[in-house]
Amino acid sequence: MNAVVAKNFKPVETVRAEALPWLADAAALRHDNAPKWIKALRDTAIDAFTATALPTPGWEGWQYTNLRPLMDAEFVYSATPVKPIDLPAPLLADSYRIVLVNGQLQGKLSDLPKGATLTALMDLADAEEELITAGDLAVSPFVALNTAYMRDGFVLDVPKGTDVDKPIEILYWHQQTDGAAPAAYPRSLIRLGENSGMTVLERHAGGGAAFSNHYTGIVLKPSARLRFYRFIDENDGLNLFGRTVVRSQKSSVFEGFSSVSGVAAGRQEFRLELLDPAISSSIGGIYMLKGRQSHDFSILADHFEPDGTSEQHFKGVIDDQSRAIFQGKIHVHRPAQKTDGYQSHHALLLSGEAEASAKPELEIYADDVKCSHGATAGMLDTSALFYMQSRGIPMEQARGLLIQSFLCETLERVSDDAVRALYAARIAEWLGADTAAGAA
Amino acid sequence: MLKIENLHAKIDGREVLKGLSLEINPGEVHAIMGPNGSGKSTLSYVLSGRDGYEVTDGTMTFMGEDIGDMAPEERAALGMFLAFQYPVEIPGVTTTTFLKTAVNALRKARGEAEMTPVDFLKLQKEKITQLGMDADFMKRGVNVGFSGGEKKRNEVLQLAMLQPKLAILDETDSGLDIDALKVVADGVNALRAADRSFLIITHYQRLLNYIKPDVVHVLAKGKIQRTGGPELALELEENGYADFIGEAA
Repeated sequence: MNAVVAKNFKPVETVRAEALPWLADAAALRHDNAPKWIKALRDTAIDAFTATALPTPGWEGWQYTNLRPLMDAEFVYSATPVKPIDLPAPLLADSYRIVLVNGQLQGKLSDLPKGATLTALMDLADAEEELITAGDLAVSPFVALNTAYMRDGFVLDVPKGTDVDKPIEILYWHQQTDGAAPAAYPRSLIRLGENSGMTVLERHAGGGAAFSNHYTGIVLKPSARLRFYRFIDENDGLNLFGRTVVRSQKSSVFEGFSSVSGVAAGRQEFRLELLDPAISSSIGGIYMLKGRQSHDFSILADHFEPDGTSEQHFKGVIDDQSRAIFQGKIHVHRPAQKTDGYQSHHALLLSGEAEASAKPELEIYADDVKCSHGATAGMLDTSALFYMQSRGIPMEQARGLLIQSFLCETLERVSDDAVRALYAARIAEWLGADTAAGAA
Repeated sequence: MLKIENLHAKIDGREVLKGLSLEINPGEVHAIMGPNGSGKSTLSYVLSGRDGYEVTDGTMTFMGEDIGDMAPEERAALGMFLAFQYPVEIPGVTTTTFLKTAVNALRKARGEAEMTPVDFLKLQKEKITQLGMDADFMKRGVNVGFSGGEKKRNEVLQLAMLQPKLAILDETDSGLDIDALKVVADGVNALRAADRSFLIITHYQRLLNYIKPDVVHVLAKGKIQRTGGPELALELEENGYADFIGEAA
């Protein structure tokens, strides 16, 4: 899965008609001033996507993912500079900031820590290894699509031995352009230097219909420590399909977490690559869905070398006819002895029509490892509800308390207190102020 | 305070209460004794409004209101409290949060202002000290990791915090050793008041040595079979329930 696309991809002769509308706006980029390496990648990706189009339920790993909302809507990609409207206040008052609007980097709105450098993708004269090894495009149509539109995004470099003093918020903001629903294809790379530490808050927000197809690469140099917290704001019109690849080097620590407060349709792929010995890499998340929303967490923890630890902790609640998917895999290669891998997914169904699918997978080739997983799906405990009601707590509030306590348990994985409070507030917000009242 | 007339109730299509009548006046302590399967726990659930219990005939009047169609929380707001035979564990919700939410929900339902956090904690501390409970329990999930005795003590703590008009104690003595039984009984006795009534549901007479009832009823085959004073409990202890179930137990 680590093929360098520009080298390995063989163009396929097939053309799938349903792929073409997705590529319609890419033609306009043909004559832009992108560096050669970007143009070459785009061409490869256009070929790849033309041959596949979007995945269908027949594809491995796509059986459950709901792509229907994408079929019914029209999204417009535009390279014309957008003017940001109604940007939200930062999540944390005291933080640095990087802003992208419809994928476009807003250099003037960005505020960076000393020593860090931010480079727009289009300003990179030469290909960066980590930006082009996005995986095999033939089996990843969304990555292919992102690559076909390669233009927006950035590279953030934090030099070695730097403890960034405040969190950096990366805001992906979506807004309508001339009444059209935007399509955004940002590609970003975060490189944290040896022995450096940083906290990143990545927020996806905006109003109205949008299609966001992002690719985020993260490189942790030896002994680097990154806390990476994603927030996906509630937006019934947002279609969010993204991949995040975390390449961890020796003795580095990655702590990731993501919350989804509701999207039309979404899929977040996380690939944790533990490339050297003694790495810790964890990812957790919560999702809260209602109506006809659907979301998919697809996680791979890939252990290549010994003494690595990976954890996956996910919990979610689904109401109405919403659908949640969790696909989690731990892959332990032969040299990766003494691997400690854990994976859990727990879904709480608030309605008889909501649907949760879980596909846990362990693929282990080393013989001295500890790997386990747990998955449950259940309804609210009716005896607990009655117990609370008999004490005078109204049904709705009792439900809220139970849901909140179910989700908040996962937040213990978030080591930053201020960020944990932000996630807790998301949960309370989703439940509505009234039902959450009285909760600690 | 509580008047039950000709109550018939079903669970899973099976009639368990078959014409039960009972009246409790303010300040009185009533005990309902009966053999297994007589409908004791059903009565407590029907009174408190648990889902799944269907009242097919008769009336329940509490504090002058017909409570038959009320949700459990509405009955609680009127002043009803059920101490569970098997208190429920609620992981993730601390006892303090649970109590605070309940106290304020009741106040809200009665049109009173919420208790300030300081006042609440003061009250809670006073009550747990009286009951000899470990303050550490308040930070744990409700009843999670509690022993049987601790769970029952937690029920009495809730009773003390919520100050109901009518407390129904469903087999509160089950699973308690004699020391725990004394603590629980002392807690209940401390709450006896002229405007507060108790309905004590029990299989054995033992608890009644510590909580003295005014009236004792024998419940069997879904009906009150006999009503008397405290001496009735002693008689049952002696002779068992055989006389009331028609055949040898």
